[in-house]
Amino acid sequence: MNTQAIGILFLKDLYLSRRPLFAYFAAGVASSAISVVPQPTLAFAGFILVLTVAIGSGMHLLGELLLSEGSDQTRTFILSLPVSLLDYSVAKITVVLTTFLVPWCTMLACSLVLTAVLPWAKAGAIPVLLVIFLELLAAYALQLVTAVVSQSTGWTIGVMVACNVFLNLFLMTLFQNPEVSESMKGTVPAFSPLIVRIIAIEVAFIVVALGLALAMQVRKRDLV
Amino acid sequence: MIHEAGVAVSTKPESAITLSHVSKRYRHFALADVSLDFPRGTVVGLIGPNGAGKSTIMRIMMGLVAPDSGAVSILGQPISSNEAAAKREIGYFSEDIRLYKRESIGWHLQFVRSVFPGWDDDYAAQLLSRFGLNAEQQVKGLSHGQRVKAVLLLILARRPMLLILDEPTNGLDPVARHEVLTELMRVVEDENRTILFSSHNTQDVEKLSDSITFIDRGQVIASRGRDEFLEQWRRIRLQVPADWTVPGLPGFRLESQFRSQRVLSSDHFDQVALDALQASGATLEGVERMTLEEIFVSSVMRGREEKSA
Repeated sequence: MNTQAIGILFLKDLYLSRRPLFAYFAAGVASSAISVVPQPTLAFAGFILVLTVAIGSGMHLLGELLLSEGSDQTRTFILSLPVSLLDYSVAKITVVLTTFLVPWCTMLACSLVLTAVLPWAKAGAIPVLLVIFLELLAAYALQLVTAVVSQSTGWTIGVMVACNVFLNLFLMTLFQNPEVSESMKGTVPAFSPLIVRIIAIEVAFIVVALGLALAMQVRKRDLV
Repeated sequence: MIHEAGVAVSTKPESAITLSHVSKRYRHFALADVSLDFPRGTVVGLIGPNGAGKSTIMRIMMGLVAPDSGAVSILGQPISSNEAAAKREIGYFSEDIRLYKRESIGWHLQFVRSVFPGWDDDYAAQLLSRFGLNAEQQVKGLSHGQRVKAVLLLILARRPMLLILDEPTNGLDPVARHEVLTELMRVVEDENRTILFSSHNTQDVEKLSDSITFIDRGQVIASRGRDEFLEQWRRIRLQVPADWTVPGLPGFRLESQFRSQRVLSSDHFDQVALDALQASGATLEGVERMTLEEIFVSSVMRGREEKSA
């Protein structure tokens, strides 16, 4: 593995996605701030905006950095340079993940900090916030695997839709759970066994999905 | 001797490209048992009709497509195990290559420069000027000819030992074609560098190449030196009696017939063959040299006829 080549490819993609990355960063900060205002309707709108930014940025960045390389035929240009398939794959998956993590981390950090420090916010919601953000990351990892394996915008959008439907069901089930809804009203974050189990499953799913994405990409025989 | 995918490849140090029994099957096309060996310092033209397999062969050489069987060695190294190192010495052009349309030519120059330590800034500046390109210009505003020249600039300024060029002059206007060919002629002057290029345009190939390979329907049908091709092939015009048939001479093919006139082509024309034709009752009207395009068409048609026979 050539770390110098990986670094060059990583920085190239980061540069190419600088504009949407900045826009999603700003949108992440704004939506997180709105989600913790003391007015319930506005706060709910802010929460929906947070989910929208996460889902929208994921789809946009996957399309821009991964799927468009096939349709725009820039992949042939990159692969004609002295890089191996492994270098290319590691750089690509790392940058696609990193660019998603920029708005994701921004929103997660803003949400957690604001929930912890604002006097009207309930710090008991912090574990649930973590669960929701990890679900968004897991959904993104699944879309990433789909994009890598299928190289198809259609399939990736299909999985994204399925992930969104699952997110709604997941949130509904989560909020209806008496243990979870009770802990959200507390002033101190409490990580119940259920929350810890969900977090563990989400983290394991993300690790497996990313490993699978890299393994599938490296196994490809025909690259153009 | 390098063993790869169960195939022993004899890699001579003087070989630039070696393909040994390479096969690749797609749903509607198959490259069948292709073996080629191009020495270093030569200019090789690859000629074939659309869909013959030229681009597939070049993609396999670049490691962009993996062969189902067989082995490929570039500059003495198997491409499958030394992909990145081999590509450091290769400049690859293909019609498939697109640059980032929102970025400028200058950005691409800087990007490729960061990958190649041997990048030649002065040569890049010369090429920008010769090709009439503006470094500030965004790729999305370039014409087809300018895009081709921009990609060639990015390839040539790294001074690769091997150039693999897939249809570099296709779709270019006469001026752009002249500029590209002139630049390639300059590269050819460096006797250490090897160029493999494909084209439909046999004039371009004839102008640049030392040796030529014809390919049709996934198979190599002929591969030899350019002058050898031009020297060995002849068109023979005959007047023949009514019941005349082509005598069984090796390498002769009936190209056309009109009333008592017959036109044959041959890659084995010599005095012995001429005597045999005249002995068969035919009267010689003329013997002509053939152009590379005529030789190519004749080779393809002969190959297809032999296959269907």
